[in-house]
Amino acid sequence: MKYLKAGNIRLFWVTTFVYLFLIFNSLQFLQASDSHAAAQGGEIDVAGIMIHHVTDTHDWHFFDLPGEGHYEAISIDLPWLIYDNRTGLSVYPTTEDLLHSGKYILEHGKVAPISFEVTSINQLAHHVEEDFKNAGGKNIELDSLYWVNLFAREHYVLVQDHNPNIPPRLYKLDMESTVLDLSLTKTSLQMVLVGLAMILVFISVAGYYSRRKGQGPKGLQSFVEPVIVFIRDQIAIPHLGEKKYARFLPYLLTLFFFIWFSNLFGLTPLNSNIAGNISVTLALAILTFIITLFSASRSFWGHVFWFPGVPLPVKFLMMPVEIVGMFTKPFALTVRLFANIAAGHLMLLALIGLIFILGKGGQSVVGGLSISPLTLAFGLFIYCLEFLVAVVQAYVFTLLTAVFIGQAMADHSHDHAEDHSSTDHALAGGSHH
Amino acid sequence: MLLEAAIGVMGAGIGAGLVAIGAGLGIGNLAGKALESMARQPEASGNIQGAMVLTAAFIEGVALFGEVVCLLAVLAGK
Repeated sequence: MKYLKAGNIRLFWVTTFVYLFLIFNSLQFLQASDSHAAAQGGEIDVAGIMIHHVTDTHDWHFFDLPGEGHYEAISIDLPWLIYDNRTGLSVYPTTEDLLHSGKYILEHGKVAPISFEVTSINQLAHHVEEDFKNAGGKNIELDSLYWVNLFAREHYVLVQDHNPNIPPRLYKLDMESTVLDLSLTKTSLQMVLVGLAMILVFISVAGYYSRRKGQGPKGLQSFVEPVIVFIRDQIAIPHLGEKKYARFLPYLLTLFFFIWFSNLFGLTPLNSNIAGNISVTLALAILTFIITLFSASRSFWGHVFWFPGVPLPVKFLMMPVEIVGMFTKPFALTVRLFANIAAGHLMLLALIGLIFILGKGGQSVVGGLSISPLTLAFGLFIYCLEFLVAVVQAYVFTLLTAVFIGQAMADHSHDHAEDHSSTDHALAGGSHH
Repeated sequence: MLLEAAIGVMGAGIGAGLVAIGAGLGIGNLAGKALESMARQPEASGNIQGAMVLTAAFIEGVALFGEVVCLLAVLAGK
């Protein structure tokens, strides 16, 4: 125990942060797949990697190892689960299986059904013949505009492989069939993992409480308890009231811990970006929105549709404003969380990307070395800041949820005088305080 | 065509800068006033801090709308 002096612990934390930062960011960059490197003639496409990191994919990519002449991707291929009205529900273990099935192509990462691959000019000539017939023997000019129109009308898609040496292929889309992509993507799989981690943590904490009744907290319990008490005393009770807060506390706690844990997961070197995905934050905001609407009091709806205490024309003016205000609140929640997390990840990647831009992908050692101290200093600073952002954003989302629910539940009918002065309909969603 | 795209990207960059200025002014003002009132009335620090974080979140929300629009402008220009 004598090694655990305060200075040593501090040193331990600093080294841990430095290592985590270095591993996190260099692994993100090793994700530069061979296509990125090959297409740019040895140079690494930093913007492409940044965009790739914040978008959802069908494989969980960890890093690449240099193989013979190309990079070997170390990743988990997630299965495609596709509902198609032609064939019903089908599963394809990997993206390659999906493409080899000959039924689908990927258009900007989305599955599109195809009827056939156009391999001969005769297949196109058939359409030209049809057009001549339909035009009633009138002359049709086969200029480029004709082909553009034909392709737009008949929905042909030209697919270029990642490898520029393979010529593009032409496919005809199947316009009759509808395709529903139900697969578990990278982000949804990581959300499930975060959920499992939360279940493990909280079941064990709940076990402590039942086994150690009346005793002080211990282990994980002493880590979680202050946070729960903080959310109850600083967020739930002041905004929801002593009587009603208990009904919403489970939701607030789930929200807080889910956002916090997924943000922390995003700071590990595992290529995770859960709350930096706008669909995830939108889903969370919609949950808040639904709960707000269902717990709204009579006077909340009164304020929305028939604003009390103002002249009649103003009532009609206030109605659309209030209705829009109802929707801007969840929208602001969505964008705030998404933009904060995505911006943090992008900033880190951009800072590390500077090394690769100035180092010209390994050709200019001096350039790479000269920028690295700056990258390390700024990157480390932002990385530590991200740990703060992780908890602050979880706090803000939970706080605003409590504020919105409390606002909707409040019975304003008795305190009109001071109520109207504080009703702001700011873009960010007003709050009665 | 190239010039249009370049102007678009430039606009996004300038817009991001303006957003940063606005948000900086807003949050700086807010934090300054909050610290001032905390120094005057240290016993009210808790309440002031809570209200400060809430308001900062609103300002930040508006700023982030702006930043997202700028990002979209850059990506659309590609």
